[in-house]
Amino acid sequence: MDFTWSQEQSEFRQRVRAFLARELPPDWEQVAEHGPASTGLTEFSMQFCQKLSRAGLLVPHWPAAYGGQDGGAWQHFIVGEEMWAAGEPRGGQYMNVNWIGPTLIRFGSPQQQARYVPPMAEGRALWCQGFSEPGAGSDLAGLRTRATPVEDGYRINGQKIWTSYAGMATICFLLARTSDDRKCGLAIFLLPMTSKGITVREIPSLVGRGDIHEVFLDDVFVPASARLGEEGQAWQIITYALANERIGIPRYALAEKILDRTVRYLQRAGDYSRGEVRQRAAQALAACRAAQLLSYRVIDQRARGLPPTADSSVGRIAVVAAERAVADFVAEFHLPALCGADPLSLAHHQRAITSGIGAGAAEIQLNLIATQFLNLPR
Amino acid sequence: MNFSFTEPQQVAADALAHMLARFRDRPVHTESYLSGSALDAELEVSGFHDIGADPDLGAVSAIDLVIQVTRLAPPVEIAASTLVRPRLCPETPRPLALVRSTGPVRFGAEARTALIATADQVMRLHVQPGDFESLTTLFAYPLAKLTDAARARAVPLEAADAPGLLRQYWEIGLAAEITGAMESALKSTIDYVTQRKQFGQPIGAFQAVQHRLAEAAVLLEATRWLTFKAANSGEPADAALAAGYAQDAARRVAYDFHQFHGAMGLTLEHSLHLWTYRLRTLLGELGGAAARFDSAAAAVWGNP
Repeated sequence: MDFTWSQEQSEFRQRVRAFLARELPPDWEQVAEHGPASTGLTEFSMQFCQKLSRAGLLVPHWPAAYGGQDGGAWQHFIVGEEMWAAGEPRGGQYMNVNWIGPTLIRFGSPQQQARYVPPMAEGRALWCQGFSEPGAGSDLAGLRTRATPVEDGYRINGQKIWTSYAGMATICFLLARTSDDRKCGLAIFLLPMTSKGITVREIPSLVGRGDIHEVFLDDVFVPASARLGEEGQAWQIITYALANERIGIPRYALAEKILDRTVRYLQRAGDYSRGEVRQRAAQALAACRAAQLLSYRVIDQRARGLPPTADSSVGRIAVVAAERAVADFVAEFHLPALCGADPLSLAHHQRAITSGIGAGAAEIQLNLIATQFLNLPR
Repeated sequence: MNFSFTEPQQVAADALAHMLARFRDRPVHTESYLSGSALDAELEVSGFHDIGADPDLGAVSAIDLVIQVTRLAPPVEIAASTLVRPRLCPETPRPLALVRSTGPVRFGAEARTALIATADQVMRLHVQPGDFESLTTLFAYPLAKLTDAARARAVPLEAADAPGLLRQYWEIGLAAEITGAMESALKSTIDYVTQRKQFGQPIGAFQAVQHRLAEAAVLLEATRWLTFKAANSGEPADAALAAGYAQDAARRVAYDFHQFHGAMGLTLEHSLHLWTYRLRTLLGELGGAAARFDSAAAAVWGNP
């Protein structure tokens, strides 16, 4: 048992940090304030990710044949920690890095790979994820968007909602129904967002400007060649794709940074002399460290090539608790941070609201822990 | 970064589990706390208290030892002997009682040495009969009070950074003990809610119960890994964070474990109280979670 980094891992992290120090502009935190899907951050991320790619730091964990360096699970996570702690300058492209690219590499046709993987590896593609619907959130298999076979392809009708990045994404990883079978009746389509019949409407929200959308699909034609895998294979594919996403974002990394920054502010303001400030700060820090260790435990298993287990659900619950502890600490003891004094703290606050909701309600993870980790009766 | 035992650590863990097997799953019926003397003697003879001194095993195996022993019903003084004694006073006779305030002290009556934390030093007392007055208690440990006369006989312990080391390894041991007790309490609760039926189904199938136990499992796993990390890093801040987190977790889960056992958990016949009253003793040690978090804040961000 060992909780230290290897020299190679430490050097890799330093490379990532040096890159960030070099490439993030002085007003970066004002850019980051408006959420990962805002126009400003998306435009910034398009340039930033291309530089990141040229530095070999965008997809180091991908296979070399697809633009990566066979770097493995820890390199992937180290990049994720540093990027998230910086305010996620990759914007929505983190999804390409974490799961869209790897899923296409695993399940895509040669034509799909040739068309979509290089732009992702080069940092110049923005996707959105067409999963949630008004009637299908955590219960994703209840989705109703219908793909009806027509000559040479499908006609898609339905509605998606809460779709991040839809306003600027050029392609959608879309889940639609080809038959009434709940899980076996689903298929995935790689749908260009310029297709005729797509309407995107932004939903004003608490989580940053331009972040969530409704996407209406009105008789949208998609060629058969845009289907990923077979009809009915979608559930298997997204289970693979999202197995790692329960702890895909190292959210505790920004939480700890904001906590540290807030405590240092409170020291200067004289509030650190209050016992409750110190105690609550350390309590939140312990929550961040707990989330970090339980996430690392999952990465350790992934790095050994072990299959995903309910440990990732345990990690996710700890991550949600950590973000909440820090967001609550800031709101309680340093409200000015959320009223203009600290844009990155506001960005953290907004992202923390989504922590237990994005990727499915955290309560679903509690169900999984109960039945798969504790073996409680169903 | 490696969350598995090394091969020597695994061998030690397996050997310990084998040795402890005969203390496990014994029928428990107790009016107050059990005697841990047989278990203590076995650990003493087999030399397990020195496990942390083996360079191949280190503090990680010492933590595993404390967790495995604290899972068992008989209470034995294990954390101080395994984690504190080798660092502060390896030649001193054990068991050890760790004393901070004038309140009840775990293992006081059976201790041969007491270490007393004062504001700026550690005092050592070679315990004589009558130094500790045993307390009658429901709590799952033997508790006793140090007499003023005995306290006056203690002499300063000459060791580099004795107060810091005592606090750090007391905290790590405390977190490991809470891990072991939480594990057994959670296991007892899972067993109970799986077999107890109401409204035609096991009560463990109700989501209200499942979610709270799932949260308890997260608190337990977090406590476990924070403890191993603190042992492995040797950083004072990690020790204080682990202890604070553990005490906070103990406070949150002890109520739920009783709640889900219903009236059965109120009986002395059922072993649940051994674990929950152990947790309830531990959650106030060293001043409780708030004091530990204060200590962690000082280690990370400095004194106020």
